[in-house]
Amino acid sequence: MNFFSFAWKNLMRRRVRTLLTTSGVTLAVAVAVSLGGFNLGYRRAISGSIEKLGFQIMVMAKGCPYEAATMMLKGGTGLLYLPKDTYDKIKNDPDIASITPVFIGIAEKENGGINDDSSSKSFSILSGIEVPSFLEMKPWLSFKKGAGYENGRWFNSNSTNEVVMGFEAAEYEQRKVGDDFYISVIPHGKVEPETHILKVVGILERTGSQDDGTIFLPLKTVQKIFGRENDLTIIGIKLKEFNGIRMREFEGRWLSIPEVQVVSMEQVKGALVSLVGTAQIMIAAVTIIAVIVAIIGVTNSILMSVYERTGEIGIMKAIGASRHQIFGLICIETLLICFIGGAMGSLLAWAASGTTDYALRHLLNIGIADKMVRITWKLILITISGSIVFGILAGIWPAFRAAALRPVKAIRGE
Amino acid sequence: MNKNLLKQKEIVIKGMDLCRYYKRGSETVKALDNVNIDIYSAESVCILGPSGSGKTTLINILSALDAPTAGQLFINNKPVHGLKESELVDIRRGTIGYVFQQFHLIPTLTVKENIMLPLLFLNRKPDSDQIDKVLEGIGLLDRANHFPSELSGGQMQRVAIGRALITHPRVLIADEPTGNLDRQTGLAIMDLFLATVKKESITLILTTHNLEFSSFCDRVIRLRDGKIAE
Repeated sequence: MNFFSFAWKNLMRRRVRTLLTTSGVTLAVAVAVSLGGFNLGYRRAISGSIEKLGFQIMVMAKGCPYEAATMMLKGGTGLLYLPKDTYDKIKNDPDIASITPVFIGIAEKENGGINDDSSSKSFSILSGIEVPSFLEMKPWLSFKKGAGYENGRWFNSNSTNEVVMGFEAAEYEQRKVGDDFYISVIPHGKVEPETHILKVVGILERTGSQDDGTIFLPLKTVQKIFGRENDLTIIGIKLKEFNGIRMREFEGRWLSIPEVQVVSMEQVKGALVSLVGTAQIMIAAVTIIAVIVAIIGVTNSILMSVYERTGEIGIMKAIGASRHQIFGLICIETLLICFIGGAMGSLLAWAASGTTDYALRHLLNIGIADKMVRITWKLILITISGSIVFGILAGIWPAFRAAALRPVKAIRGE
Repeated sequence: MNKNLLKQKEIVIKGMDLCRYYKRGSETVKALDNVNIDIYSAESVCILGPSGSGKTTLINILSALDAPTAGQLFINNKPVHGLKESELVDIRRGTIGYVFQQFHLIPTLTVKENIMLPLLFLNRKPDSDQIDKVLEGIGLLDRANHFPSELSGGQMQRVAIGRALITHPRVLIADEPTGNLDRQTGLAIMDLFLATVKKESITLILTTHNLEFSSFCDRVIRLRDGKIAE
């Protein structure tokens, strides 16, 4: 027998109370670990998603910065269009290393989509690109291989019906190379929709970005389908040298064009981080309250236990226990509760991280592809250490009360 | 025991003018009033008196569990009065073993663990041979892994005696050890006490209000209204 086994036996005397107290700690720690995981994950996820865009700067029509940020990541539904001559004006800027024009449009899927339900409409994101410049931005794009995906290739720039599908778009529509794909679009200035039959010429490997859900077509074809020849949604840019000064210089040169905004990757990051920040503050507040409630719960539980065992503590002192030993014994009891609660809370947060990630993704809806909740061993160790520290804090008062009991009075139960 | 023989023995505990007063409202209760007492090594002393005579107060002071309001106390010739609780713990640990009327066993520990408990506080590793010897001595070797709730009153008191003996104390103090037991069991416990203290040369101080049990001890000190009655 040692002090730990003795403390454990004391805790097991009131199993329900110990279980409830430990559950309180478990929940508080689970919330704290999830929040910590979110803190660790979302910045990295935002950075990862933005890096996968391949652009350092985007030029787009003026609008809400959050909308711009979301549009960059989700492929966007804002669909404001740049003035027609913007691309021609900007493309010769001396600081630009590479530039790619993009037209994004939303098309209604016709009944060619296998998952289509005749009673409901569904939509596809069509992205019109110029392949050479687009690949300069995203050199990692490659075609899926294997049965049904052979001979995957990019479309010819002049083709009117060839498409390349992102990984998830193809999975969802169950399309392979050589299959047809039907879309319905109401061109600009018209009332009646026009149906187009497209042929899949390539399916991309998964990238973990918004490209996975996109259907790519030649830029001019998409512009024509939507009746917006020469219109662009965004212009992606990489500078020869990217830093704050260069960015401001570049921005200064082109903000003179009316209705155009120049958005850097860093600005987008900042916009998304501040968007998430509000939710984060709320979760942090809930976590702090949960932790305080848990500490009070542990203190109360141990204090009750000390009051119940006043006589026993007196006996222990009479048979040789010192103040320090009684103090230590009570502290060990609180530590055991907090350690077990901390470990179980971490385990719970880890097990539920997928669900938490899913919930946050839907709650925030900012189109981040990477995992937003990232629970690491370091985080778990820090949280368990934190719960031990809180355990010591919670145990100090009851342990002090127990240690200060005078043997004779304690035995008499005073 | 012959007074001359006693004088040849070493004094283990010496109390001089011991007083213990309590405040009860505006009234001062003299639980112990100028008690002088010498306890010699390896003797068995019974403090006899009716309820409220100050027996428990006296042995609480003699065992350094409580401090006298006035007077001086020496244990092993060392002054104990006025010492801090931490210093009293050291004296209790090394010298005194306790047995209480209510047994006061820890309900979540087995017989064996209850007996081992003082060793935990002394940071001493339990020696299984020693524990078995104690268990055998109190007749509970076959009950080592039972919990207190599975024992009779007499058995629980035996465990309490075992717990008191495990540290090899110089003085065994028992407050009404037979108070919660029937006569037969009480007699058996008295036998165990006396056999043990004789075998181990331990000083025994016990309190009782039972004249029959007091007759087994070497010496009887009668206490009445907080004073020693000659």
